[in-house]
Amino acid sequence: MNKRLHAAAEENGTTQSLAAVPGTGTLAIADPRTFTPYPPPLPGTSGKKNGIAKAARREPALTKDALYVIRKDHGYHVVAESYFYKTEPYYTILSLEYRGEVVKPSSRAVLEAYVIPVCLERVRARGIPVCDWGISQAYVPLPALIYGLNYYATNAEYAVVRDNSAAKERIRHITNNGKYPFCFQKFPEGGEIAEYTAIFGKTVDPRPDVAACASAVYDLFGLPLVRMIFIRHDGSCLLSSLSPVHYSRLDEQERAILAAHICSQEFL
Amino acid sequence: MSRLGIFVDRKTLASAEQLNALIRCRDVAEQMGHAAEFIFPVDIQKIRKMDALFIRARTDPMNVTYVAAKMAEFNGIPVIDDPRSIQVCGDKVNMYSALLKKGIALPKTVFLSKKDVTVERVASLFDTLGTPLVLKEPSTSFSQRVERVRDVAGFFRVARRFIKLSDWIVVQQYIESKYDWRVGFLDKQLLYACKYTIPSVTFKIQASVNGHIVYCGVESVPPDRIPPHVVALGIAAADAIGDGLYGVDIKNNNGDACVIEVNDNPSLESGEDQYYPDVYGKIVSHLFAK
Repeated sequence: MNKRLHAAAEENGTTQSLAAVPGTGTLAIADPRTFTPYPPPLPGTSGKKNGIAKAARREPALTKDALYVIRKDHGYHVVAESYFYKTEPYYTILSLEYRGEVVKPSSRAVLEAYVIPVCLERVRARGIPVCDWGISQAYVPLPALIYGLNYYATNAEYAVVRDNSAAKERIRHITNNGKYPFCFQKFPEGGEIAEYTAIFGKTVDPRPDVAACASAVYDLFGLPLVRMIFIRHDGSCLLSSLSPVHYSRLDEQERAILAAHICSQEFL
Repeated sequence: MSRLGIFVDRKTLASAEQLNALIRCRDVAEQMGHAAEFIFPVDIQKIRKMDALFIRARTDPMNVTYVAAKMAEFNGIPVIDDPRSIQVCGDKVNMYSALLKKGIALPKTVFLSKKDVTVERVASLFDTLGTPLVLKEPSTSFSQRVERVRDVAGFFRVARRFIKLSDWIVVQQYIESKYDWRVGFLDKQLLYACKYTIPSVTFKIQASVNGHIVYCGVESVPPDRIPPHVVALGIAAADAIGDGLYGVDIKNNNGDACVIEVNDNPSLESGEDQYYPDVYGKIVSHLFAK
């Protein structure tokens, strides 16, 4: 896996595989039987055995916005920094689904993971401790951790507000001047925010509570790469949200793990 | 006594007609012997206590209506609009994909990734789909972010704006018509029908013209005056999305009908249901029958 494969992925944008139906001029979903795996096998890869070629085991570029579609466990895994609604990764997932392919994460799971109250209710149902949440139009009990709840907000842009003045300004910002409601979570005095990255359900950090959450999050949503944001307080560790991860924010060990997952793909 | 929650967002209430329609819905539910109450976003936890939920706020997979729909789903509460309908109808790429998969007649439609917006590709789209073209940002509603373009330069002007909001945009063949059919379906059954007469100053059912909002005319149409092939196409389109409440927009030029879009959370406040006085009664009955 190297720049060539990345380039191949770029060249094989999913829009190209929406085949035109001759005679109608209307685009239709391509016949799954004629679907070409995305990205295609690497030219010149070695180690071909029984029709399966393994990709070169060189580290992928992991450059900004790079998108990798890998075949794994009888389905496709889409690896991207962000799976936000209406992005290229989201539409890549959607187009694979409409071809009848099994793909992780699914488009439904992506929405569930990134819409905070929905995410927390699903994770809570798995027995993982999560923050209590509420929806407000204007006021919150202080101190609080607040998130936008609209298309223009990103979960990575959270804020802890401790006084009315700061809360008012922050709420104005994340609600687009009061146009949308927002999500809040009580923030305990003495609490702290902790962030961990999960890669295919595993974390570099050995803490059992974090590892259990990473595993549950992967089982529920199938996100190959995700940032988990927690509130730590008095020995408890409550999940607050899931958010995208920039490749540039991965440490060396995390990059190596992610690269290993991407490189060990097998192409039919 | 069953409890119906009507989820509303006062931030998206835009007119007295919308307010009156909500009150009418509540009154109908109460006349049918149910308790009905409005649920606002801040009261979202109340959804757990309801027996059914009817969402009457602007739906989107990234806003609070999706949370409301999922809360209902998690608690086994029948809901209109259900989360999947919000996800599919809220995104025109998803919605048209669902229709194409079922072979529903549409204008010629292309999904264009922002990385494919090149002069050559755009020129080929004019060759393939004709002139003018209609560009849609996928999460458009009420005809916002729907533009007609006549040349490559115009295409780029509009596309540049739309790709700030979405990595893919929808490009469609333009089909001229004086009106669109809006046919409402509930669980694949005809619920109401009307004509949206397109204002002469625009090609959309709603547009801002010289700073003024121009709305389409609404003419309710009784069942015996709806062309049967329009109803059949509408049922097929609704069925491609799910079993919820949908408003299907159809152009019917010279008997050659095609679907323009399928809307979840269709408007019911502008006289769409004049010939169908039992629309809310059917919706309430459907929810509690589940």
